[in-house]
Amino acid sequence: MTLLILAASIAPCRAAAPAKPQPPPLPAEHLTIATVGPKSPHWVYVVDYAYNNEIDSRVWLFDGDTHRRIGQIDTGFIPGINLSPDGKTTAVATTYFARGGHGTRTDVVEFNDNNTLGKTGEIVIPPKHAQTLAMLFTIGYSSDGKFVYVPYLTPATSFGVLDPAQKKVLGEIDTAGCTLVYPWGPNRVSSICESGRLLTVTLNARGKETGRTTSEPFFNVDADPVFAQAVPLPDGYAYLSFLGQVHEIDFTQPKPAPRTPWSLVSGAEKGTWRPGGVQVGAVQRSLRKLFVPMHKGGDGSHKDSGTEIWVFDLKSHQRTARWPIDTRASGGAVAVQVSQDQSPLLFVATDKSHLLILDARTGKLQHDEKNLGQTPQLLLNP
Amino acid sequence: MKNLDRLVENSARSLAKRTSRRSLLASLGQILTGAALLPLLPIDRTARAQEPARPSAAEQKCEYWKYCAIDGFLCACCGGTSTSCPPGTQSSPITWIGTCHNPADGRDYIVSYNDCCGKVSCGDCFCDRNEGEKPMYRLSRNNDVNWCMANSESNYHCSVSVILGVAEK
Repeated sequence: MTLLILAASIAPCRAAAPAKPQPPPLPAEHLTIATVGPKSPHWVYVVDYAYNNEIDSRVWLFDGDTHRRIGQIDTGFIPGINLSPDGKTTAVATTYFARGGHGTRTDVVEFNDNNTLGKTGEIVIPPKHAQTLAMLFTIGYSSDGKFVYVPYLTPATSFGVLDPAQKKVLGEIDTAGCTLVYPWGPNRVSSICESGRLLTVTLNARGKETGRTTSEPFFNVDADPVFAQAVPLPDGYAYLSFLGQVHEIDFTQPKPAPRTPWSLVSGAEKGTWRPGGVQVGAVQRSLRKLFVPMHKGGDGSHKDSGTEIWVFDLKSHQRTARWPIDTRASGGAVAVQVSQDQSPLLFVATDKSHLLILDARTGKLQHDEKNLGQTPQLLLNP
Repeated sequence: MKNLDRLVENSARSLAKRTSRRSLLASLGQILTGAALLPLLPIDRTARAQEPARPSAAEQKCEYWKYCAIDGFLCACCGGTSTSCPPGTQSSPITWIGTCHNPADGRDYIVSYNDCCGKVSCGDCFCDRNEGEKPMYRLSRNNDVNWCMANSESNYHCSVSVILGVAEK
């Protein structure tokens, strides 16, 4: 009863108050689908292997200028991922199980349009694509984009040659125990061997082998192995060793030729400071600079994240900068990538799932993006 | 008895007519060679667990000495132990190996790291140690590849660490 009286006494007061002008109602909204927008050299494709639920890896397309996620590409179970030479397509060699986490295994190469982030086609391949650490060499394009190569592992080693235009498998080439695919030019594929050599297969226009060569050995797997995650150079690839030797290999000839190796570390630093992580280097071609995540550690620390980024001049082989990372705040560096434009950005993925964006000329931190997936370990730049 | 003698004699002569001493030696040789090769072939040494897993606290820590070259989720945190796969999974018949030092007895041991397969990632107790680990071109020492690759159910769930024997110096 008391409440009723109170309510009755309040109601006339409210009615007597001067009416405030009501804002107009919100307009009806229309559901749309965002577009990717104009392509930028500062885009980076961040590969999240999603270790805690590996059947659900994905790629985030991230804009290094606006610091926003543009969209996502789904990439299945332990994929190989690479961009086409024209940057228009993301190719994904991956595995799906018929019942989610189990059931019949289907391996497939999926093609995604980077203008829409939609899937445009696929090629079903034999169920044996090499499932391993994130790297650039678990799928690759020929330089003219006419072939796609996918390494197979059963654990016997070989690679598949695919035609991305006709969406078909052209064949399979045995690699005699050598593994992964390092494409060069329109028709050559190299694989790395336990003997410290590169096996190089040349293909004809139909994707069939016409010849093979074996390079001179350039590393010793027992004394100082090289990371299989080579760093692309303008005329080949650089293989960094666990102890910091740089083995630049000239791929412009049918038999890749090792150059005289040089060192990332001084005599005093050797064995103490080491390269490490997953994507262990990136080259900015016009600056002629090599960026490497480095850490202090001993034998067996080759996957430890970098506490600093070291910068080297590719011509003089001199270190030109050391950029420490605030590892407590951001984690250590596990992957590096650099843009190739005139205002280059250095992208660094960390073991705390951050993406750092630095000015590649000065090392100045421009942005620290947190929570970019679970285990981002590979960065691709168009 | 005479009939029995004749039967044995006829049987022996018949065998001698059909086969030669050389073929006998060849057959024996094949058997012996096969026996000699057997230890080199990959063998599924999986024993069937007799009781539920009871992992020790040490087995659930990445620092445990046997895990010196493991890379993955510790099965001891996922329903198994350091030597048993969790219920409902299958062990990988192919493996990578490591050499780990046991501080308790001062010996180095060859350790087999098998993956347990057929379910999605366990997601607990991730452990990445790389003593003596090598890149993919030395596959037998590589812990990056999915060693469930040859299983009928090739999804990766977790990893175990099984002592094979003392490492000879």
